[in-house]
Amino acid sequence: MAEVSFAKEIESLRLGTGDTFYGEGILAVTKALLQSGVSYVGGYQGAPVSHLLDVLVQSEDLLTGLGIHLETCTNEAAAAAMLAASINYPLRGAVTWKSIVGTNVAADALSNLASPGVQGGALIIVGEDYGEGASVIQERTHAFAVKSSLWLIDPRPDLPTLVRSVEKGFELSEASNTPVMLELRIRACHMFGSFAARDNVAAAHSAKNRLGPARFNYDRLSHPPATFRQEADKNDRRLPAARKFILDHALNERLGPAEGDIGIIVQGGLFNVLNGRLALAGLSDADGATRLPTLVLNVVHPLVPEEITAFCAGKRAVLIVEEGAPDFIEQAVGQILRKADMQTKLSGKDVLPMAGEYTPLVVGKGLAAFLAAHGYGAPELQAWIAKVDAQRAEVDKALGGPLPARPPTFCTGCPERPVFSAMKLLRREMGPVHVSADIGCHSFATFAPFSQGNSILGYGMSLASAAAVSGTQATRPISVMGDGGFWHNGLITGVAGAVFNKDDSVLVVMNNGYSSATGQQDILSSKEEADGRGRSLDIEAALKSLGVNWIKRVRTYGVTGVAGTLREALRTRAKGLKVIIADGECQLARQRRIRPELARKVAAGERVVRTQFWVDPEVCTGDHSCIRLSGCPSLTLKANEDPLRTDPVAHVNNDCVGCGLCGEVAHAAQLCPSFAQVDIIQNPRTWDRVARALSSTLMRLLGGGSRRVAAQPQLVPAE
Amino acid sequence: MASAEPIKVLIGALGGEGGGVLAAWLQRSAIASGHFVQGTSIPGVAQRTGATTYYLEIVPGAAARHASSQARPVLALNAAPGEVDLVVASELLEAARAVAAGFVTPDRTTLIASSARVFTIDERTAMADGRLDSARMREVARRFSRDAIIADFAAAATAAQGPLNAVLLGAVAASRVLPIAAEACRTAIRAEGKAVDANLRAFDAGLAMGANRAGLTPRDKGDKIPDAGVGPLGATLLDAVTRGGKGSDPRSEASDRQGLTPLLAGFPAEARMVLGEGVRRLTDYQDAAWAERYLARVRRLAGLPGADAAFITELARHLALRMSVEDVIRVAELKLRAARLARVAADAKARPGDIVDVTEYLKPGPEEIFGLLPPRLGRWALARVRRDRAWPMKVRTTRLSGFLRLRALAALKRWRPGMLRFAEEEAWVERWLVLVERTLVVSPPAAREVVASASLVRGYGDTYKRGLANWQRIVEEVVEPMLAGDLPRAHFADAVLQARLAASKDPEGEALGDTIAALRRAGSSQRAAAE
Repeated sequence: MAEVSFAKEIESLRLGTGDTFYGEGILAVTKALLQSGVSYVGGYQGAPVSHLLDVLVQSEDLLTGLGIHLETCTNEAAAAAMLAASINYPLRGAVTWKSIVGTNVAADALSNLASPGVQGGALIIVGEDYGEGASVIQERTHAFAVKSSLWLIDPRPDLPTLVRSVEKGFELSEASNTPVMLELRIRACHMFGSFAARDNVAAAHSAKNRLGPARFNYDRLSHPPATFRQEADKNDRRLPAARKFILDHALNERLGPAEGDIGIIVQGGLFNVLNGRLALAGLSDADGATRLPTLVLNVVHPLVPEEITAFCAGKRAVLIVEEGAPDFIEQAVGQILRKADMQTKLSGKDVLPMAGEYTPLVVGKGLAAFLAAHGYGAPELQAWIAKVDAQRAEVDKALGGPLPARPPTFCTGCPERPVFSAMKLLRREMGPVHVSADIGCHSFATFAPFSQGNSILGYGMSLASAAAVSGTQATRPISVMGDGGFWHNGLITGVAGAVFNKDDSVLVVMNNGYSSATGQQDILSSKEEADGRGRSLDIEAALKSLGVNWIKRVRTYGVTGVAGTLREALRTRAKGLKVIIADGECQLARQRRIRPELARKVAAGERVVRTQFWVDPEVCTGDHSCIRLSGCPSLTLKANEDPLRTDPVAHVNNDCVGCGLCGEVAHAAQLCPSFAQVDIIQNPRTWDRVARALSSTLMRLLGGGSRRVAAQPQLVPAE
Repeated sequence: MASAEPIKVLIGALGGEGGGVLAAWLQRSAIASGHFVQGTSIPGVAQRTGATTYYLEIVPGAAARHASSQARPVLALNAAPGEVDLVVASELLEAARAVAAGFVTPDRTTLIASSARVFTIDERTAMADGRLDSARMREVARRFSRDAIIADFAAAATAAQGPLNAVLLGAVAASRVLPIAAEACRTAIRAEGKAVDANLRAFDAGLAMGANRAGLTPRDKGDKIPDAGVGPLGATLLDAVTRGGKGSDPRSEASDRQGLTPLLAGFPAEARMVLGEGVRRLTDYQDAAWAERYLARVRRLAGLPGADAAFITELARHLALRMSVEDVIRVAELKLRAARLARVAADAKARPGDIVDVTEYLKPGPEEIFGLLPPRLGRWALARVRRDRAWPMKVRTTRLSGFLRLRALAALKRWRPGMLRFAEEEAWVERWLVLVERTLVVSPPAAREVVASASLVRGYGDTYKRGLANWQRIVEEVVEPMLAGDLPRAHFADAVLQARLAASKDPEGEALGDTIAALRRAGSSQRAAAE
C-alpha cells in the first residue's frame, strides 16, 4: 500500500469533456493515457514518476472498466519488455520509470523493441531525474533515443501541452512505427496545474475485448536477417515518417515575430525558464509573447532539418538552450546548418554551461552573453545578474561562512539506522571494512554520522559490485541491499552470482517490507493484504533455493545482536556467501498503520502504553557521542540548564516513537547512564494504580521522594 | 489579454513537515479566490527529513484561464533570485538558506519564518557546542528582507496541538501579501478534509500571531546560553533546591544562602555566582567539608599574581565540575530524586491520571564497579578483569525493586572518600591545579587555557577514557614542553587552545595528532631560524 492515498486524484481521473482537471503533472499524464485509449500500462516506481503507478494501482476498478491491463513490473527491463505487446498488435501501451537509471536497466529490451518497431503506439514516460533534488547520476536520456532510434518528446511544462504531447505521442508512434519516449523533469512531474479534460477512451482491443495470436511474421523478430532490414527501415521509412508527422501536426512551436536577425532554439522543458529571463530583458511577458524569434522543440529527437533551416534562414545567429551534456541538439543543428551551407552563427554551450541544471540565473547569464555578443544590450538583465551576485556575496559575509547542508536521513525510528549503528561500533572494534552500498533508504548511511559505503553501482548491485573486492581484500566486504533492490535484480545479479562464484562475502538485506524510498510501494515480499499487491514471498526461502547455506535473521533494533551477527559473519570459517536478513518494518508505514488505531483506543478509554525515550539533563555531560552513533532526528540538543556547564545536552523530542535505539546504543557502546525509557500507561486499569500506589508507598517509607505522579500536562515546545 | 505580473511564493521546509500540504492549501484557496495558480516542488517522494522547497506563482484574477488551452500564462517552475514576493520557512536555517540563495531581497520579499531550530547532523554530532548562531541568522534574515515575520511558530503549533504547516498558513493569511482571505484558507483546510479541527486550531493560532505582530516574542531555544555563571543564580539555586534530595526544604535553602555570603566575601564579585553554585553542588555531592575544600583550592590559586576575576571564575567552574564527578553513587542519587519524575512526565506529555514508569539504561564497567572499592583492593580487582567487561542493567526506578538497587548504591556515599575512583579524581585535580599554578607563573593567558583544558575530561566509559587520554597527551606534548622551554612560548596560550579544540574535533583524536605535529614543526623551524 503506497505512502500517499490518491482517493481525490482517482476521482479526477474520471473527469470528462467539460470538466477542468486540477493536479500534478505526472497525474495529468496519467489522465492523458486514459484519454488516449491505452490497452495496457506498467512500469517501475521511482521519483519523480512514482505517482503515475501509485494512482493507477489504487484505481483498479477504473482500469477494469476501461479494460486496461496494469502491470507493476519487478524492474524497468520487465516494463520495457512489456511493450512487446505493441510489436504485433494494434494496442496502445505506456510504461514509466525513473531515468537515467531505469532506462539503463531497460536498455536491452528497448533496443530489441526499437528494431522491429511497433504497430500500436508505445509510449515510455521517463522522469528525467536531473538537477536540484535528483538522486541519480547526471546523464541524459537523449542518448538512448539517438542510439536506438526512439523519438524523444520534451514538452513545454504546461498541463495542456503535456496532455497533448501524450496524445500526439501515441499518434507519432503509430505513424512512424517507433516507440516514443516522453521525458519530464522533476519540477514538471510535481507541477500543479490544470487542463480542460476530455472523456476517457476504452481501447478497441484490451483485457475486455481480447485478440487472437498474430500470424507468424519474421520481420517482427529482432533476429537476423530481419535486423538488417529493420536497421534500414528505421532510417529509410520510419524517420521521414516521424519528421513529416512532427511538421504536419506542428508539435514544435514557432513563437515570436517571423522576422529577426537572431533567434533561440530551446528544449520545450526549458521554455518557461527562458521566458522568465526574456521577460526580464523586456523581450517577452508573462504570457510567453516573446519578441525574439523562438523555436520551442517539444520533440527533441528527431529534429526536422527543414524546420531548423527555415528558422535559421536570414538569421545572423541562433542560441541553443539545451540542458546537460553532451550537446546532442547543438551538434545536430550544427550539422544541419553545415549541410545546408548556412552561415548562421551557432551559439549554445559557449555561453551556457555544459553541466548542471539550467536555473533562471544560469540561463539569464547565458542569454545576456548571447544578446551582448550580437549587439542587443539587455541592461535590465545585466543589472539583475550583477545585483544577485552582489547580494549573495554580501549575505555570505553577513553569515560569516557557508550554511551547513541538510541531507536526507533515516526517519525517526527507522529500522535500518540500528544496523549502521552496529556497523559503526564494529568498525571501532575490528577496524574498517569495505562497505558496498546500494540504492534505497539505506544509502542515507553514506551521510554523517555513519559515513559508510565505498561504492554505489546501482539498484540491487551492491553484492555484485563487491565480487572482485571480496577476492582481493584481507577482510570480507559487507554489501548492503534493501528488499526492494533484492527483488529488483539483487537476487540474480548479486546472490546467484556470488553463490555461483563461491564469493567469500557478507550481504545484509534490509527487510522492511516495502520499496520504501520510492513511497512504500508493495514488493514481492510485502504482506499479502486485501488492499495491497504484496505476495508475502519469503526472502530466506528464496536464498535457500539459490543454495545460500549461511543465513541469519536479526531484529534490527537489537544493536548488540546485530553487531554480534555481523562479527560472526566476518569471522566465521564458513566460506561462501553469508547473508544477514535484517528484519524491521518501515517505521513510516508502521506509524501510519498504528497511530490512528492507538488514538482510537485512547479515546475509547482502553489501556494503552506509550513508550518514548528520555535523556537525563543532569547526568548528560554534553559529549553527544550518542548522537554520533544514532543520528535519529528526534535525538537532538537543548541548552544546558546546569549553570556550570556550557555545552548543550542531548535531548529526545516528542517525535520519538520509542524504537529504543538510543537506549540500545547507550548499552552496546557503554556510553553513559543518561538514557531512560519512559512508559506512559494511558487509561490505567485498577491493578496498574494499585501496583503503583503500593510501590510508591514502600519507596516513600524507605526514604524515597517519589510521590504519586499526577502529571500536569505542560506545553513544553518540542525542540 | 496580457497577464498581470504573477505573485511569487517560495516555501522552504524539511521533508515530512507537510510543506506539500501547505502548498496545496495555498493553491486551492488561490483558485477559490479567483486567481490562476501554478506550483511545483523539489524533491520527490524519496527525500526524508532533508531540505525541501515548494514554489508557487499566482496570477491575480485569471482563474478563468485554468480551463482554456490557449492564452495561458507561462509561469516559472524555479524561483528566480530577487523575484520572490513571499518566502515561508518552517525553520530558521532554511530561512537563512533562502536568503543566502538570493530569494529574499530588501526591495521585494516578505519573509515568514519560524525561529525554532531543527539542528543539522553536523550541529548535533559536534563534541562540544556546534550550534549555529541563531541570533546572527535572524539578523541576516531581517536585514535582507523587505519585511520579516520571525517567531517560534513551532512552539505555537505545539501550544495549539496542531501542525506547524497550518500555523504558517495562518501567518501567511495574516501577512496579506497574497490576495487570499483567511476564510478561503479555512475552506481549503476543510476541503482537504484531514485532521480538520487540529489544522483549523493551528491556522487560527498562526493568524493571531501574524495579526498581532507586536506580540511576537521570538523564543530561540537554539540560542547559545550566556557564559556559565552569568545565568540567573537565584533561579539556579531554587532549581537546585527543587531537585529535591538533601536540603530540599526552602527554609534550609534560605539559611544556606545566608551562609554563603560570608564564605565568598574574599572573592571578586564576578566569581561569586559560580562559586556559590559550586559550594551548593559540592555540599550536595558530599558534604560541607568537601565544599570548604573546594573554596580552599580556589583561594590557593586566587592569591597568585595574574589570577584575575575571569580566571578565577573559570577555575571555580571547572573545579566544581571535576570535584563532583558523576560516579555511580552520584548517578544513583540523581536518578532517585523526586522532582525528576514529575519532569519526565511533563517532558513525555503524560496526561493527568496517566501512570509514568521510568526504566534506566545503566551499564557500569569495571572502572565504575571496582572504583567503589578501597584503592588497593580496587586496583587488584581491576587487574584481574577484562577491561571491556561491563554489566548492562535496565533498572525500573519507579518500582520498588529498581528503587532499592539504586538506593543501595546511593547509600555508599558516606564511604566515597575512601574509594578508588575518588582517589584517582583527587590525584587528577591536584595534578591539574599544580599545572595551572606552574603555568600562571610563566603566562597567565596560557594558564587560562590550561584551566579550560579540564573540559576535555568528562562523561562516562569510553568517552571519559578518551577525554582523559587526550588531556594527558596535551599536557605531555604541549604544556610540559612549553614550560620546559622546548617549544617557543610566544604562542603558549594559543597552542594549548588549538590542541584543546583539535581534541574536540574527532573522537579518534586524529586532529589532535596533526595539531601537535604542526606545533612541533613550527617550534623546530623557529629554533632553526634562531640558530
